[in-house]
Amino acid sequence: MKGLFKSKPRTPADVVRHTRDLLLVVDRTTETRESKREEKMAELYKNIRELKCILYGNSESEPVSDACAQLTQEFFKENTLRLIIKCLPKLNLEARKDATQVVANLQRQQVQFKLIASDYLEKNLDLMDILIVGYENTDMALHYGAMLRECIRHQIVAKYVLNSPRMKKFFDYIQLPNFDIAADAAATFKELLTRHKSTVAEFLSKNYEWFFAEYNTKLLESSNYITRRQAVKLLGDILLDRSNSAVMTQYVSSRDNLRILMNLLRESSKSIQIEAFHVFKLFAANQRKPADIVGILVANKSKILRLLEDFKIDKEDEQFEADKAQVMKEIEAL
Amino acid sequence: MATTEAEEAAKRVQYPLDSSSYKLLNEIGAGVSAVVYKALCIPMNSTAVAIKSIDLDRSRLDLDDVRREAKTLSLLSHPNILKAHCSFTVDRRLWVVMPFMAAGSLQSIISHSFPNGLIEPCIAVVLKDSLNALSYLHAQGHLHRDIKAGNILVDSNGQVKLADFGVSASIYESTCSSLKFTDVAGTPYWMAPEVIHSHTGYSFKADIWSFGITALELAHGRPPLSHLPPSKSMMLKITKRFRFSDFDKYRKGNGKKFSKAFKDMVASCLDQDPSKRPTADKLLKHPFFKNCKGSECLVKNVLQGLPSVEKRYKESKVCSVHEDGEKGGDNDGDGDDDDPSVQGKQRRISGWNFNEEGLELEPVFPNDEVKEVRFGGETVVQQTGEHVVNREGMLATLNVLKGSLEQELWQVKFLVSTIQGEETHHQVQVVGGDHSEEQEISRLRAELENERRKNTQLELQLHTCKLHLSSLSTSK
Repeated sequence: MKGLFKSKPRTPADVVRHTRDLLLVVDRTTETRESKREEKMAELYKNIRELKCILYGNSESEPVSDACAQLTQEFFKENTLRLIIKCLPKLNLEARKDATQVVANLQRQQVQFKLIASDYLEKNLDLMDILIVGYENTDMALHYGAMLRECIRHQIVAKYVLNSPRMKKFFDYIQLPNFDIAADAAATFKELLTRHKSTVAEFLSKNYEWFFAEYNTKLLESSNYITRRQAVKLLGDILLDRSNSAVMTQYVSSRDNLRILMNLLRESSKSIQIEAFHVFKLFAANQRKPADIVGILVANKSKILRLLEDFKIDKEDEQFEADKAQVMKEIEAL
Repeated sequence: MATTEAEEAAKRVQYPLDSSSYKLLNEIGAGVSAVVYKALCIPMNSTAVAIKSIDLDRSRLDLDDVRREAKTLSLLSHPNILKAHCSFTVDRRLWVVMPFMAAGSLQSIISHSFPNGLIEPCIAVVLKDSLNALSYLHAQGHLHRDIKAGNILVDSNGQVKLADFGVSASIYESTCSSLKFTDVAGTPYWMAPEVIHSHTGYSFKADIWSFGITALELAHGRPPLSHLPPSKSMMLKITKRFRFSDFDKYRKGNGKKFSKAFKDMVASCLDQDPSKRPTADKLLKHPFFKNCKGSECLVKNVLQGLPSVEKRYKESKVCSVHEDGEKGGDNDGDGDDDDPSVQGKQRRISGWNFNEEGLELEPVFPNDEVKEVRFGGETVVQQTGEHVVNREGMLATLNVLKGSLEQELWQVKFLVSTIQGEETHHQVQVVGGDHSEEQEISRLRAELENERRKNTQLELQLHTCKLHLSSLSTSK
């Protein structure tokens, strides 16, 4: 049947338009007959899969950049992204995954050297709120989470999320009991705090007080092993980044922070110890240590030196050994 | 459509996320950093589950890899793929709760009860179900990267599921745009040539190769080359030196006849050229799968009278302890995971020639090419069971080796007597060797061992160089 009546193949833009029409139907639908609805859904699934094939290619063919550009342009001309995000919970698992991959891919598509996804999102930043809260829904978390991570590749979007009141929620999402969801949230959290250097530096200096208060109590002092391990690693990445040097100086001048890091340094987990060392060395290397920091280090001098003396890592690491020697020298000289 | 909706409904059944809700019964599998238990989920009518408990504190375990695996598992939904009910952390371990597959892996079934392989109709059922899983995975953009009988599980009703996504990767998460991977993962016997030579990158077709090897494994009771004990790279190196063809004489043919369709199907998977291998979808249409029977075929011919998976695991463990005692010094890193050789096991196979008539693979060993194989993930299967079955084969192998060594000894003697005096210490050894050939053999062994060590070092260096190169090229 199909072959007989198909006049000409649909263009990528046609597929987008068709998808959008179907999404509108699905979005509005409250009742209609079950059979009719299922038919529409099946058609929608087929169209989303086709969008994915155009963008990613398949086992037989690589994607064609011209077709991708056409598709992207049509997609962001209207509110297709909002519709997809809104309707996602109504789709079945396979279609959700396809849609997520389509949305992810579109964030990187350039049309005439411009990321038009970024322009669209700038005007629709409220969509991020839906995606963030998605972490609270077990069925949707991984899909919305993956979309969110792709969207924050755009600096403007990352800035919005960092400064949104929902940023605080990540401290809880990271510790959700479902490992896959918690790990996804942790990956997004890390991306937010490392990807766009200038934005991150600005965010951290403006929000220093509450952010590190939460970071210390909820993450570094969490009872959950994996949370502590990821948090101390990320802290090292943040503080060692040159663009965050002002924040780093502030962080290593606090005795509370030093106390927390010294506790982590004493953990029985080697992985945590190593990451903690990379932060602890900043306290010791600080050439303008406040008096109370010096006080703590002097009081614990012999204990710290003994601990570092015995501190070995499995594989040889010249940088680590050099750092260790430097830290020991600093502390010895106090 | 109806089945997927139903499955999704099932997916929403939330298994408890705390360890106290589960009662661990027996260990049923173990890998380098993970243990698999049979357990009961108490609040859910004590449903039997399998729990894979992964030690997260191992220094080499990359948390991002674990995250990716967990995500892959929770987003896959196919009747022939083993999904995870849920996963959560218990102190430093990650617990992945999965359905319990009562009959265990095909590797364990075969090594316990079918040392000479399964009958063809049963092979067809297993392969078809695995292929369905593979087709789904590939359509999702995932590579499995470790297809083998040890990762194909069977339930008590004969249902077949593909498992263990420890090394699976998604092309949608790769940072490079091309549909290819360059890091090496998998288990050596099953690995495609282009995976071993990973500089060319590999794609879905590498899974098809491993699928072909798995077909041979089911047909013969072991993968090609495995009569050389696994994880003994030294053995492979010796065979390289004394030519593999010597072994053919010692291989006992079990006189099994396979259909033309089966041979043709396997041959198409084992084409040297990846582009000539069929896709999973295409393979499903192969005549071999046309009159494929249902899962009752497995129940009747394979599962009946099979001891429980717990029992088989226990037996295989006893044997492996025994085996470990025998292994002595030339342990190639099975036990101690801090040994660098665990990460850098090596195999020297440059290619394979598939002998369609005999349904066998013949490896080609190069003279100088060295390749390092990195084990990216965790394989938790009852592999140890293989040793029991292969003991006879191993003995034969050792005998051949001994014969070859004796021959070499004779050659050395001859050489030394020709070039007299040039290597005095060598001569002394040879004179001494008259007393005991065994001494000479052990000396040669030690020499080989030294060579092996040097090789490993060189390979590690090579690997480091490669890493430098690739990081350089990406940073550009």
